[in-house]
Amino acid sequence: MASDSIKLYALVYVALVGLATSKFVFFEFDQFFTYEQAFAGTMGAAALKGALIVGYYQHLKWENRSLTYLMAVALAFALLLMAAATYSIT
Amino acid sequence: MSELPPKTSLRRWFVTTNHKDVGILYTITALFFLIMGGMLALLIRFQLWEPGAQFLSEIAYNEAVTTHGLVMVFWFLSPFGFGFANYFVPLQIGADDLAFPRLNALSYWMYALSGILLGISYFQGGTLSTGWTMYAPLNVPMYTPSLGSTGAILALAMFVIGITASTINFLTTIHHSRAEGMGLMDMPLFTWSILATVYMMLFAFAALLAVALILLSDRILGSIYFSATEGGALLWGHLFWFFGHPEVYIVFFPALGVMLELFQSFSGNRLVGRKWVIIAICLISIQSFLVWTHHMFLTTINLEVKTLMMATSIGISLPFDLVVFSLIYTLIKGRIKFTTPFLFAFGALLLFIVGGITGVFLGAIVLDYEFRGTYWVVAHFHYVMFGGATALFGGIYYWFPKMSGKMYDEFLGKVHFVIFFIGFNAVYFSMFLAWETPRRVFEYDPAFQPMHQFGTIGAVVLGLSFFIMFYNFAKSYVSGPDAPDNPWEYTRTAEWAVSSPPPLENWGGRPSYASGKLEFVSEALTPSDDHDGPAAATDGGHGEGHGDDHIESYPYWDKHASHASIWPFALSLATGIFFFGLSGVSSSIDITTADTLFGTGITVSNPVYPVFTALGLLGIIWTAVKWGLEDFYAPPMEIAERWPFEGVEKVKLGMWFFLASDVIVFGAFISAAVFIRVAAGWYTWEPLTDSLPGLINTFVLLTSSFTVILALVYARRKSRKGLIAYLSATILLGLTFLSIKMWEWHHEIYDVGVTLTQNSHGDPVQATIYYVTTGLHGLHVVIGLLIAGFLLVRAWNGAYQEDPRPVEYFGLYWHFVDIVWVILFPLFYLF
Ligand SMILES: [Cu+2]
Repeated sequence: MASDSIKLYALVYVALVGLATSKFVFFEFDQFFTYEQAFAGTMGAAALKGALIVGYYQHLKWENRSLTYLMAVALAFALLLMAAATYSIT
Repeated sequence: MSELPPKTSLRRWFVTTNHKDVGILYTITALFFLIMGGMLALLIRFQLWEPGAQFLSEIAYNEAVTTHGLVMVFWFLSPFGFGFANYFVPLQIGADDLAFPRLNALSYWMYALSGILLGISYFQGGTLSTGWTMYAPLNVPMYTPSLGSTGAILALAMFVIGITASTINFLTTIHHSRAEGMGLMDMPLFTWSILATVYMMLFAFAALLAVALILLSDRILGSIYFSATEGGALLWGHLFWFFGHPEVYIVFFPALGVMLELFQSFSGNRLVGRKWVIIAICLISIQSFLVWTHHMFLTTINLEVKTLMMATSIGISLPFDLVVFSLIYTLIKGRIKFTTPFLFAFGALLLFIVGGITGVFLGAIVLDYEFRGTYWVVAHFHYVMFGGATALFGGIYYWFPKMSGKMYDEFLGKVHFVIFFIGFNAVYFSMFLAWETPRRVFEYDPAFQPMHQFGTIGAVVLGLSFFIMFYNFAKSYVSGPDAPDNPWEYTRTAEWAVSSPPPLENWGGRPSYASGKLEFVSEALTPSDDHDGPAAATDGGHGEGHGDDHIESYPYWDKHASHASIWPFALSLATGIFFFGLSGVSSSIDITTADTLFGTGITVSNPVYPVFTALGLLGIIWTAVKWGLEDFYAPPMEIAERWPFEGVEKVKLGMWFFLASDVIVFGAFISAAVFIRVAAGWYTWEPLTDSLPGLINTFVLLTSSFTVILALVYARRKSRKGLIAYLSATILLGLTFLSIKMWEWHHEIYDVGVTLTQNSHGDPVQATIYYVTTGLHGLHVVIGLLIAGFLLVRAWNGAYQEDPRPVEYFGLYWHFVDIVWVILFPLFYLF
């Protein structure tokens, strides 16, 4: 069963706020980061945030693993559509 | 909850939620659309009697071609297969009903009423005339300006909403309600084919929903996705065919399932290579998503993608070969009984082989240059889709005795088959012979005239053959001999183990396959305080106890299953009214913008459509609330096989399936944004907006995710105060999010000059994408707030103390909306 610990959820919240701020920082301080670095850093932060929310707030971490695979397949199809369609016009 | 009236009462058919009733409704409605689509087909055939315009005008011919395609593919083929799926999947797996009976009735009514909307679209200045593929930019108002064109696309969107609900229902049912001992590999092959179908539907129809929403935004709100020169037409191709190829198997698989079932029943033999057939079915389902650009060989996409998907397209024929050989060997090894159902199933196999082989030609790039847009394509897909559907007619003869309790006339059935088969090949084989005729055009080389006239005669024969079937069924239903429980000698599936027709509750005792064969266990269920009873033993889950459904509040010795609710019909009706209103709202309201918001002028030229829109919207909210408050009891299945989703509660499982489909919806919207930006040149765009309001809104939504999880924690601790406090906080944060969004939009429109179609900084389509994508997300927030408000009022009255799970399910949705924003924020505010 999912955790009932408010402390754990609060820690996740702090991490989420930190990650959200990091995206902003990447693009605000463009004297330190190139566009590509900022882009990569932001995507990394977004992926991590998504994983934290799904894993802890939607408590997928404590659920049957098959639900994770289901969502992974959906995500894979969405990324496939994006990648193949976009690549097709390059 | 109301009692279910008898079958003779008309009221029953509006309130029933029983899967067998809904199955019959689907079957009859689908046959109605078969007649409608068939009439349209005959119009096309008569027009082709001679080259050039006959009795139909150009536009009327195009409308007939378009609606024939839409009706047959969407409103006939799939729902016909799902009539059987509704009736027989629960019976084949040993369930009492589908997992969500009211949702099932909702799917049916969305389907039936969306078909009526499609019919109405003919009278709204003419319906859609683009062909069923609705290619861009033909699909935008500049080229198809009639209200009926918008009406037809709205009808399709409503149909897809019903499909999505049905998909979630079947997936949850098959994964949650299999009788004891019925492992996934033990399921009958019809049920297997439906399982594969609904998995494909879950992902494919989500893409169709997304592309329909984008198109509706273009048509109703005036956004410019598909008229954009930055790849708008190609965008449609990708999004539509990402859905469109899997759709071919979605309509074919139920028919394949019937074929597999009937080949076994009438050869007296188990399917040869059963395990491999199941593996092939799974492979095809996955591969179906990897081939879509073979519909785009003549577009300007690059040769690498074309070549890759040519290879995968040819590759998909391999698992199909395996299935075909398995069917043939099953016959060779068996003793065949040439009954009507078998004849149709066998005919379907022959037709499908012709369709499959001619399709391989189209899968090769070089040949497609020659064949594309000709009658070769038309003949090919009719052999595949209608050829496959031939097995469904086998299915209706096979199951008619079970569904009606009467035997049909075998002789008339065989006559039907012979005339059908001759007519079928006359129409469609003549198309191969005249294949150089251009598709969707009534002008053709007079040299092909004899072939087309032969085809038209064939079409009349084909159409008339169905009246033999209708007569046969009508007469048998009235005065035919009673059907025994099992009229067929060799059947293996559980629907034949109960009476014809089966009783309302399906089973006398609890069906179980624990011993390897079907037995009915009669257990005297006794009240018990042990909530970790039998279900937990099979669940092998995660120590949550079974806690399934309202077991505490509804002891089973005291509560009977509900089978009636008017709200699925009412909610669908409200949706239909809302969509009807939407079809004309943009032409009835004229909005003039000024320098400030308060200068906006609104003139209503025709109040009818706006009034329907408003009434429909109020109706949707009202019926949804009544639905939520209704006391409707679908009994939990105490003992069930649930691999691979053991330990996941029923509603939670349904919720995750819904979220998986919503991932594709947003995935398609985000893909569209990325695709168009790459087409325009990624680096030529700068974010339209300041990043600060987006960042603040990110914090607001993250905080609301935190408060939702706290609401759940306090609900679990049975703290009414805590639950109310954190639900209220969530609602306030959601409202804050929307307010900031409104402020931002206002700022963009009136201070910066960025509107849906205008962008003072660059490409107008960038503004379109920004407003529509963040708008869809905002709509998700609004829906979430409505649900949260409902929960709050109920929590105030003391609900969710015993059973906090609704709070949890709402949280799953709300967090998902939060995650979408995590992606949208950088995409629109930073990159
Ligand atoms: Cu295809």
